[in-house]
Amino acid sequence: MTLGYLARRLLAVILVLFVVTFAVFAITMILPGNAAVMILGEYGTDEAVAALERRLGLDQPWYIQYSNWISGILQGDFGQSLRLSLPVADVVGDAFWNSASLAITALISVTIIAIPLGVVAALKRGTTADLVIGFFSYIGASMPEFVTATLLLVFVAGPALGLLPAGGFVALGESVGGFAAHVVLPATTLGLILTAHISRQVRSEMSEVLASDYIRAARLKGLTERRVIRHHALPNSLAPAVAVISLDIGYLLGGIIVVEEIFAWPGLGRLLIYALENRDLPVIQAITLLLATVYALSNLLSDIIIAFLDPRVHYA
Amino acid sequence: MLVMGAAILGPILAPYDPQVFHPAVRLQGPSITHWLGTDQFGRDLLSRLLNGAPSTIFFGLGATVLGVGAGSVIGVIAGTAGGWVDSVIMRILDGLLAVPELLFTLLIVTFLGGGMGQAMLAVAIAFTPGMARIARSSVLSIRTREYVLAAVARGEPSHYIVLREVLPNAIGPIIVESTIRVAFAIMIGATLGFLGLGAQPPSTEWGLMVAEARHFMFRNAWTVAVPGVAIAMAAMGFNLFGDALRDSLDPRRSH
Amino acid sequence: MAGAPIPHAGVRKPVLEISGYSLSYTTQSGPLHALKNIDLSVEHGQTHGLVGESGSGKSSLAWAILRYLPDNAIENDGGLLLSGESLRDRTLPQILEIRGRRVSMVFQDPSTSLNPAMRLGDQLSEVLIRHRGLTSREALEESEAALARTGIVKPREMLRRFPHEASGGEKQRVVIATAFACNPELIIFDEPTTALDIITAQQILELFNQLQDETSISALYISHDLGLVSRVADTVSVLNAGEIVESGPRGEVFSNPRNDYTKALLEAVPDPKHWLGISEPPPGTPALISAEAVTVEYGRQSRIGQMLAPKPTHLGAKDVSLTVHKGELVGLVGESGSGKSTMAKVLSGLQEFDGTVRFGDQDYTSLKKIDRDYRRAVQIVFQHPDASLNPRQRVREILSRPLKLYDIVPPDQRAGRIAELLEKVRLPAEFVDRFPHQLSGGEKQRVAIARAFAAEPELVICDEITAALDVSVQASVADLLVNLQEQTGTACLFITHDLNLVRQLAHRICVMQHGRLVDTFHRDDTERSDRNPYTRALLKAVPPPASQAV
Repeated sequence: MTLGYLARRLLAVILVLFVVTFAVFAITMILPGNAAVMILGEYGTDEAVAALERRLGLDQPWYIQYSNWISGILQGDFGQSLRLSLPVADVVGDAFWNSASLAITALISVTIIAIPLGVVAALKRGTTADLVIGFFSYIGASMPEFVTATLLLVFVAGPALGLLPAGGFVALGESVGGFAAHVVLPATTLGLILTAHISRQVRSEMSEVLASDYIRAARLKGLTERRVIRHHALPNSLAPAVAVISLDIGYLLGGIIVVEEIFAWPGLGRLLIYALENRDLPVIQAITLLLATVYALSNLLSDIIIAFLDPRVHYA
Repeated sequence: MLVMGAAILGPILAPYDPQVFHPAVRLQGPSITHWLGTDQFGRDLLSRLLNGAPSTIFFGLGATVLGVGAGSVIGVIAGTAGGWVDSVIMRILDGLLAVPELLFTLLIVTFLGGGMGQAMLAVAIAFTPGMARIARSSVLSIRTREYVLAAVARGEPSHYIVLREVLPNAIGPIIVESTIRVAFAIMIGATLGFLGLGAQPPSTEWGLMVAEARHFMFRNAWTVAVPGVAIAMAAMGFNLFGDALRDSLDPRRSH
Repeated sequence: MAGAPIPHAGVRKPVLEISGYSLSYTTQSGPLHALKNIDLSVEHGQTHGLVGESGSGKSSLAWAILRYLPDNAIENDGGLLLSGESLRDRTLPQILEIRGRRVSMVFQDPSTSLNPAMRLGDQLSEVLIRHRGLTSREALEESEAALARTGIVKPREMLRRFPHEASGGEKQRVVIATAFACNPELIIFDEPTTALDIITAQQILELFNQLQDETSISALYISHDLGLVSRVADTVSVLNAGEIVESGPRGEVFSNPRNDYTKALLEAVPDPKHWLGISEPPPGTPALISAEAVTVEYGRQSRIGQMLAPKPTHLGAKDVSLTVHKGELVGLVGESGSGKSTMAKVLSGLQEFDGTVRFGDQDYTSLKKIDRDYRRAVQIVFQHPDASLNPRQRVREILSRPLKLYDIVPPDQRAGRIAELLEKVRLPAEFVDRFPHQLSGGEKQRVAIARAFAAEPELVICDEITAALDVSVQASVADLLVNLQEQTGTACLFITHDLNLVRQLAHRICVMQHGRLVDTFHRDDTERSDRNPYTRALLKAVPPPASQAV
């Protein structure tokens, strides 16, 4: 895997992000009404609105607005939040780290749980264990986050058991214990669907590997089943597992929005909902762009990991 | 597996025959005098559930059909045209796919305004790039099959090749993916309802029911559990159906 | 050749003895009887050839010996003895001891039977570590030596490579080395050369014979290829639909077959001395089609494409010129990657090319210029029966397409013409309503041939049409083709890698290598010494069967 390949992939990612920015920008252009109207609300006179429009540069042709916005971004300036009168970059920045801590916790837990589950299910294919795992996967995959979250809240955090706090946030820096207590429910909610998906995919990939000719050849060489699984089956299943996980990150990024809202976790998701409700455009644009970038970069990262794991992959 | 799918799908479809249960307004009471209890206004939960079933499922099907339709058309065009048309479409799709789906839906819905119809459209639009990619790859894999080459070599007109040789054989994966998408659409639809961006009160859409009941959930878990579980079961039914479908269409099955 | 030693006078138990063994699988549609009452024995130091076509049960026998049977397999109480000890009723740990150490296996396709994520050296060493208790360092030393014995040129380097970094021949040598590594009593060879190129297959065959001579290994050599088996085996059994229909020393089976199936099989083996083709068109017959300096470059990109993601181009064909005359059958021979399929695609209007294709009095200089008349006159039949027919169309529709497209007959006569076509390819009339999956491989190819001839073409291109078929079916399809040719006067370009087959059919033969046409000759001149060295190498690699049967 060469540097040239890496460079070209990065270029592709950047191109993709450009398309995203354009799409986001286009959406805001289509929207009826504009920032000025929203700021001034119902009380703005036509003149006031027009004046504000001029001040905000909204009367300029769209391509000039677009290029202004882009050049601003490249300098780190995402504009001002319409509602909060704060630089968007600050607001979003804080929220980003909070979301990141939640997302990464969820991701790590999912990986640790889902992959072994999938492997076990494949190894014991057709047995009760497999069916049980499969059954729970189905259930898990069919429950939207808000349902899981609500149920968890009711049963675990409710007055009946009161085991864990019902929401809120304690930064990792402040107190690990506090963070842990608060992160369990949201991370579990996020992780449930992901675990279900990933374990099913791992199961099917692993089953395919187990049915392949080289596994048969390895068994016929008289190797112990343990060796066959550990040295022949697993290494070949890892790469597809990574691919699946990276795809599901997109799902994670979506689910985090709902989860943060329900658990009052002050991250990007909650911020986004707030921004959507209040039509705070700069914030919406910034968050969308940020999430899309994270997704694109994570895909790139997973491609690199896969190329590293699978010696067969030629990226000339 | 097929049996399981049908069995679970059955009870979902059963309440969805068009008996409109009027939400009987009764006194407040969280007790379980009714089969599934009542909500904060004393409305019978079972009735509300059944009432909401058609809209939930219809949402899922409708959004999926639209999304699959649009996506498939684009995908087929990309796959059959090839060349720069294909490249351009792919780049655009890549860009759109970089945005996580739920996020995409939320954005569109916000700008379209709330309401079931708008939500459905939003979901359909969000599904389109994904379906387009699947349609395209399915078409591409069929296009190189020898019977298609034979048709090209014969000099068959393009419309024949696409309609009669490629499409009937490429549709399999698209259909399988569609059923799974329905499950997804149901879930997203409910989520939107929950967030207040989809159905509006006093609709009996299940997501909305959960949202409304949240305030009271610690007092009576049923109010949230019932619609929540219902959503899950509906989604699961379609998931199972899709899997059973995939298994039966698997070419490795010998005839 | 395969050094037929006479077994030592002191009676030594056969290495492998199977007596009265039966195997069936329970399936949803009832029990599937894979093996019926098998008696077979492999003597010490001998190679026993097991000949069977697909579905004969030969693979099941291999799995049965290695005790690698699925759960739905039901065995009777027939005997499976390895050096006198029963292989049956063993615990799994015992079986794992036997596999690889006392009985090992060489598989058909080295590309799929080697772990793509593990170095070749490790895959060899692990058997040594497991069964001979060597340390990993000792195992590596031993592996290097083992690879050298199988003719690998730089064994130390090969140990470090991954499968995708080695050629088919090299991989198969590694597999063979692995099988020999623990000095087993018996090695089972399951079609070890089928997935290889002709010349590579020949080398592996020679390697087999050489190792046999050096080590006196006992081997069960499974193959569908009678000709091949005649070159390696001392004793032979023929398996048909799960039953052994003939068995005995090689010489006897080949020169005096008793069973009808065996006889049919022997007849079907391509033998150049047995001319099947039609009579040659008279000299001076005009050329029907010719390719002039045709070059095909794969992977050409638009300029934008080159900027975004440059890919190397690859020449499928280089400067190829060949001609087919009216009513002639020209054979195009080459190994995989030689460019013969590329030429097939160019001539049937499926591939962009540089150069000229002259047909009749028209010159075509690019793909776009190929028109409807050309396409009607030049038809193609493909290799894979499973892929050449649209699975969603019935035979009726498949055959009526060309009739409709080229307006061969008015609509009311189409059904009749379809019936005629089916008759010509010797298929029952009821087949019109069938879907492809309801037909066998040979039957599907016949439909594909019927489809090609339906258009009343002047040239039919056959791209390896028999390669995916069983030997017995191959012969009948080739025969059919020739028959049709005779009836219609159509010319044919017959593409194949099977030199013996082509010598039975073709008036002239062209040989391709690495995209170039390296030799063209009349069939009478095949064995002349002024043939291209590559042609001579090919000929040497596939000696005709008759001369080996003694």
